[in-house]
Amino acid sequence: MRSIDIHAHISPEAYIRAVEAGADWYGIAGDSHEFHRMVPRTMWTPEERLTDMDSLGVDVHVLSTNAVFYCYERDAATVGAMDRECNDYVSQLTKDYPDRFAGLANLPMQDVRAAAAELERAMTQLGLRGAMIGDHINGKTFDDPEFYPLWEVAEQTGALLLIHQGMETLVSPRLNRYHLPNSIGNLAERAVTFASFVFGGVMDKYPDLRICLSHGGGYTCFGAGRMDRGWQVRSEARANINQPPSAYLNRFYYDCLTHSEPALRMLIDSVGIDKVLFGTDWPFDMAIDWPVAWTLGLESLTQEEKEAILGKNLESLLGI
Amino acid sequence: MRSIDIHAHIAPAVAANLSEGQEWHGFTRQERGGRQFLLRGDKRQWLHPKYLLTPEQRIAEMDSLGVDVHVLTTWVGLYNYDLPAEVGAATAKDCNDYVAELSRSYPERFSGMATLPMQDVNAAVAELDRAMNQLGLKGAQINDQVNGKTLDDPDFTPFWQSAEQMGALIFFHQQGDDTVVAPRDTKGYFIDNSIGNLADRAVTFATLVFGGVLDRFPDLKVCLAHGGGFAGFGAGRMDRGWQVRSEARALGAGLPSSYLSKVYYDCLTHSEAALRYVIDSAGIDRIFLGSDWPYDMGIDSPVEWVNSLESLTEDEKEAILWKNLERALGI
Repeated sequence: MRSIDIHAHISPEAYIRAVEAGADWYGIAGDSHEFHRMVPRTMWTPEERLTDMDSLGVDVHVLSTNAVFYCYERDAATVGAMDRECNDYVSQLTKDYPDRFAGLANLPMQDVRAAAAELERAMTQLGLRGAMIGDHINGKTFDDPEFYPLWEVAEQTGALLLIHQGMETLVSPRLNRYHLPNSIGNLAERAVTFASFVFGGVMDKYPDLRICLSHGGGYTCFGAGRMDRGWQVRSEARANINQPPSAYLNRFYYDCLTHSEPALRMLIDSVGIDKVLFGTDWPFDMAIDWPVAWTLGLESLTQEEKEAILGKNLESLLGI
Repeated sequence: MRSIDIHAHIAPAVAANLSEGQEWHGFTRQERGGRQFLLRGDKRQWLHPKYLLTPEQRIAEMDSLGVDVHVLTTWVGLYNYDLPAEVGAATAKDCNDYVAELSRSYPERFSGMATLPMQDVNAAVAELDRAMNQLGLKGAQINDQVNGKTLDDPDFTPFWQSAEQMGALIFFHQQGDDTVVAPRDTKGYFIDNSIGNLADRAVTFATLVFGGVLDRFPDLKVCLAHGGGFAGFGAGRMDRGWQVRSEARALGAGLPSSYLSKVYYDCLTHSEAALRYVIDSAGIDRIFLGSDWPYDMGIDSPVEWVNSLESLTEDEKEAILWKNLERALGI
C-alpha cells in the first residue's frame, strides 16, 4: 500500500545556503531563518528527507514550499522571481526522485496575473500538480472577483490548490498566547476560506476547481450546520448561491490532519471518504508524528477507508 | 416533561419602552424604517421587536414552543463594557433588577442571569454578589472578551474567585459582530456570526484552560453558548499544541480535551451530528437546552427539535431539556 502526503513542506536549498552564509535571499533573512533553526528538519537535504520518509513509511511527499515564503505583502516582482526559483527547485526534485516527490507551486498572489502565469508555467512546463496558497491575500478573501483569472487557469490546467495559512491567523489579534493563533486560528481560517469560496459563488462559477483545505478543513464540517442556518435566515448569505453551504462540503478535498480520531470520522462522514487525503505537515512540531501508523491504527475506519486516505485518493486525483 | 432554556434574551422594559425624548443612562430610542433602535453616542443598536413584548405575551410564546422556563439573560447590546464603568454599573443594576422582578413575579416561568460591568472588575464582583445574594439570580452572562482582553487575564482573578464562591453559572456569549472572524467577513456573508461565534467560544474555552483558570477554580460553573462552538471539535489540535509547545503548558495543568467535561454547553448547534459530537466529547450531563430566543439564528422549535433527534436516547433528551439545568441551577 502506497502512502502519498499532500501536506509536506520544503525550503529551497538556495535559501538555506544563502542565509547560512549570512546573505539575504530575495530580501528574506533574519526571522525566517530563526523559524528554520527552530525546526532543524526544514534544513535537511533531500536525501536526509528521504531517509526520514522511509522511517515514517511515507512513499511520496507532494512538496509545497514553506508558507514563510508566501511574502504576499512584499513587492510582487521580487516575490515572483523568488517563486520561480522555488518552483524550479521543487520541479527539479520531482525529476530527480520521481517515485518519491511530486510538487506544488508557490505563487505571487499579490499580483493575480503573475500568479496565474506562474501556475500555468508550473503545470505545463514544470510538471507540478497545483499550488499552495494562503487563506487570504493581505486581508482579501478568495470570493473577490480579482482572483477569477487564477481560478480559470487552475480549472483549465487541473491544478490542485492546497489552502494553508501564512504566519498569523485571525486569532492573533485576540491573543498571542498558548499557541492559539495556530491551534485554533488555522482551523478557523480554513472554515472562513470554505465560506469565502462557497458564499462568494466561486464553486458554482468554477465547477471543476479542485481545492484541498488543509488541517482537515479546520472547523468547516463541524460548523456547516450554523452556516446553513445563516444561509436560511439571512438574505446577504444567499446573495450568490442557491444551495445551503453544506451542499458544497463534498466539492472540496481535505487532508486528514485533525489530531483527533472522532474529528476525522466526522469529516469522512460529512464529506465522503473519497475527499479525504493523507496530509502530515512534515516537518513541523504540529505534524502527525507517525502518520502512517496513526492512520492504520484508527479503529473507527475500515481498511478500505485507510487505503483511500493513505494513497488511493491522491493517486487518482493527481495521477501519481 | 419540563423544558428549561438557558439561552433566552430579554431587554429591560425601562430601555425597550423608552418613549420619544426620554432618556435612560444616555440611551434614547429611535424608529427607523419600521425598526426600533437604541442610541447612545455613535452606537446604534437594533432592538428586537420581541423585546417589546409584555411578560405575559412572552409566556404565551413560550407556551406555543413548549418551553416552560426561560433563564433570562439581558440582551448583549447592553453589555456596555465600552462605557464608563459607573454607567455600565448603573445599566447593569437596572437590567438585573428587571430580570429579578420577572423571576419573582413568575417563578414557574422565569429564572435569571445578571449582566455585569466587566470593565471594572470590582464593580462586576459587587454586582454579581448583589445578583446572587439579594436578587436570587443564578449567575451572569458575559462576553468572550472585555474590550479586547480575554478572561484569563490576571485582572479577572477576583471575578473568578467570587463566581466560584457564590456558585454562579457564568454563561459566555459574544456581542454582535465583534468576533475574531469579523475582519474577514468583508462581503457580509454573515460569517462573522455563523463562524465567528463558534470560533470565539473555542478561544474562550482555550483561555480558561490554557490560562489555568479552570485549575485554580475547580468548582467554577461555566457554560459556553452555541454548543461551545468549536471547543469540542477542535480539542485534538489544542491537545497537540499543549504537547509540543511549552508556552501552551505554562499555566494549564492538563490536556485541554480533559477539560471538556468540566464546562457546560447549550445545544445550539443547528446540526444533529455536531450535537452528538459535543455530547460524546463532554458527557451528556454537561448539555443544556438553549434556543437563542428571540433571534433568527435560534432554534425555531427547540423542544420539538431535541425530541426529534434520532441519535439521542430518551434519557439524553430529558437530560438536555431540563434535568441538567434543574440540577445545575436548582430550579
